[in-house]
Amino acid sequence: MARSARLYRFFGENLILLSLVAIVAFFGFASERFFSVTTLSTLLNQLPALTVVAIGMTLVLISGAIDLSVGSVLALSAGVIGACVVLFGLPVPLAALVGILTGALAGFANGSLGAYLRLPIFIVTLGMLEVARGLAYLVTDSQTVYMGAKIQAFALPIDGLGMSASFMAALLLVIAFEFLLKSTVFGRQIVAVGSNESAAAVSGIDPRQVRCTVLVISGALAGLGGLMSSSYLGSADPNAGIGLELSAIAAAVIGGTSLMGGRGSVMGAFVGVLIVSVLQIGLAQIGITEPTKRVTTGAVIILAVILDRWRAT
Amino acid sequence: MTPRIAARRIGKSFATPVLRDVDLEIPAGNIHGLVGENGAGKSTLAKIIVGLERADSGDLLLDGRPYRPGAPAESLQAGVAICAQELSLVDDLSIAENILLHTATSGLARIRRKAAHEQAARVLRTVGLDASPEVRVGRLSLAEKQLVEIARALATDPKLLILDEPTSALTAPQSDRLHAILREEAQRGVAVIYISHRLRDVLAVCDRVSVLRDGEVRLTELSHALREQTLIREMAGADADFDARPRSIEDARPVRLSVKDLRSAALPRPISFDCRRGEILGIAGLAGSGRTELLNAVFGIDRRLGGSVTIQGPGEATEIRNARQAIRCGVGYVAEDRARDGIFRDRDLAFNVTIAGLKRVADRAGRVVRARETPAVSKLIANLRVASTGIGQRIRELSGGNQQRLMLARWLHCESRLLLLDEPTRGVDVAAKLAIHEELVSLRDSGVAIVAVSSELEELCSLCDRILVLSNRKLVAEFHRSTWRQEDILAAAFSAYDSGATRLADIRK
Repeated sequence: MARSARLYRFFGENLILLSLVAIVAFFGFASERFFSVTTLSTLLNQLPALTVVAIGMTLVLISGAIDLSVGSVLALSAGVIGACVVLFGLPVPLAALVGILTGALAGFANGSLGAYLRLPIFIVTLGMLEVARGLAYLVTDSQTVYMGAKIQAFALPIDGLGMSASFMAALLLVIAFEFLLKSTVFGRQIVAVGSNESAAAVSGIDPRQVRCTVLVISGALAGLGGLMSSSYLGSADPNAGIGLELSAIAAAVIGGTSLMGGRGSVMGAFVGVLIVSVLQIGLAQIGITEPTKRVTTGAVIILAVILDRWRAT
Repeated sequence: MTPRIAARRIGKSFATPVLRDVDLEIPAGNIHGLVGENGAGKSTLAKIIVGLERADSGDLLLDGRPYRPGAPAESLQAGVAICAQELSLVDDLSIAENILLHTATSGLARIRRKAAHEQAARVLRTVGLDASPEVRVGRLSLAEKQLVEIARALATDPKLLILDEPTSALTAPQSDRLHAILREEAQRGVAVIYISHRLRDVLAVCDRVSVLRDGEVRLTELSHALREQTLIREMAGADADFDARPRSIEDARPVRLSVKDLRSAALPRPISFDCRRGEILGIAGLAGSGRTELLNAVFGIDRRLGGSVTIQGPGEATEIRNARQAIRCGVGYVAEDRARDGIFRDRDLAFNVTIAGLKRVADRAGRVVRARETPAVSKLIANLRVASTGIGQRIRELSGGNQQRLMLARWLHCESRLLLLDEPTRGVDVAAKLAIHEELVSLRDSGVAIVAVSSELEELCSLCDRILVLSNRKLVAEFHRSTWRQEDILAAAFSAYDSGATRLADIRK
């Protein structure tokens, strides 16, 4: 093969990764403070919640559905954890488990209404976005519930590793779900349902069951995201995760996941998360104001889809 | 006289050349047949003429003037209409709205409901489709959609009409009606390009026929000077065997499928039948007679309202209730509409073959083991002689015949002992059709039970050991190979319709 063709293919296949490198390099030049411990720790603290939510979103999108409720479910789970710890005095691990189960339950509601009752999943999860947000305000009495050091251990760097348990959990989940998607029977079934639901049914796959399961996973991961964000803050904030669904969809799409279903990767979504997060931090550091930041981030998402289209042909 | 359409040295390559220096001239008022195996370049040529593809070299002349459409909208403007093989109707719009999409002169023109419906009703009457223009297209059967597609092309009042496999889902009377319409259109000066695998139809309706092979025109001849065998020889480069094979039937074979009093929303009358080990059981009937619905109910995709379906395995009998359980009991189903219910178009061959039997290539933890999948799929596509660049190729890049072989491969991989096949050779060329028939016969000989639906009676008669006939959603007759006559089967297929007698007379004249 000609050298230029090989180069072309290399660029095509690693486009998002190269974009990430380019963005990091750009901010390295543009801001003196970019390559610093502060940046890194901000990044490491913010990443885990978005990462786990984006994993769930990626699976949901590949299956041909969508989950708009993740941000609110994250806040609800955080609120439930806060209530468990502060009001009922439950030990943190148990409270965390209850929080994740709350997320899974919300996902199950989404899944059973959307898949089994055949209601449009967009509308169902849009409804859940409001319901879960309202419940989050109810369980926290619209106040930030302070939990303190007990829960922060999860977000503090572990000695000798330099990474928090939160961050490591997110990384492990990326690897585990990438494996699930690419190398297991269930992963194939998700892709099949998203790529051609009717053909999947003829092949003996129950699309309802697959979609419902994927939405439960997404809910549980949003619940985990609630644990991660409240351990980072040391408190449960009922306003946490507003607009998070859009960041998660953006990360998935930047990573090559199709909104039409049937195509995508968890690893790609993780790189998408990195791009979105680095942009946020970097733009803030070079003194870009919030409105301009939003314009830039939005433009990057659209650019990513254009590049992806170009790569696919 | 200037021809209506002339192609001069048209060339087109994708990865390999698809068309090489194709010359073609069709005068106004002529029906020109285009035949050839799948992948010979017929559809590509049609797509170039309507602007869906662009030629790499060569020119097109429409009424003597250079013509180079960049999009279907331009060709439509120039008076060229196509009924493509892959139907292009919008399921969520009504029949009238679908027709309007092609006939409206401006996107801003106000939709005049009444006029649109009258226009639609008129063309629907012409093609003989008894449906209201207000019906949503998504509710129509494949045959009805094909008629709407044809009606829509006619509604644009074209100068040049291209039909790509227009009769693949139509029954004999419907096709005959279409052919009569085409002759009328030709008399009014319309030029028609007629692409089909049904050689008898081509010879009957066309004035001249061209044979394409490997992207080259091998032959252009007046059709009354041609015979089917000549066309096949030119298409395949060899004489193909069309004769029905003699068959021996042993009635003592054990029953594999037993259907008792089966009812569904689409099949109100209870239906009972058996299919034995090593038997090919045909289901004949007109389009809309409930053939597909019967297979759907047996396989468990459609909800049953009563009755039972039992699979006799080696030793034990299992009553099946849904598709998943059916597959577990060794049932495989190749659906009629491959694009909708069969292939995962953006996925590779391996994905498409193993999707129904992932357990066979996975370990106990549910991990798909490539080292098991790759050889299994490679072996199947080699045995079925699927032409591809490898198991990593995307299925959408293959021809219809090869895709159809992969649908068989999917169930061979599951080692299915009962195959339900709906139009197993739909949209497939003659050579691939014979290859699929051979494969089915050898499966039968190895003890597989096969239930096959086909709208081609010749196909059923050459393939099956026994034929059941559905008419108006009722099981009306059973025929055995030793005693059947095609006319009797046909008569049975019409028997349960009120207007049966007149329609039968229609097709005989």
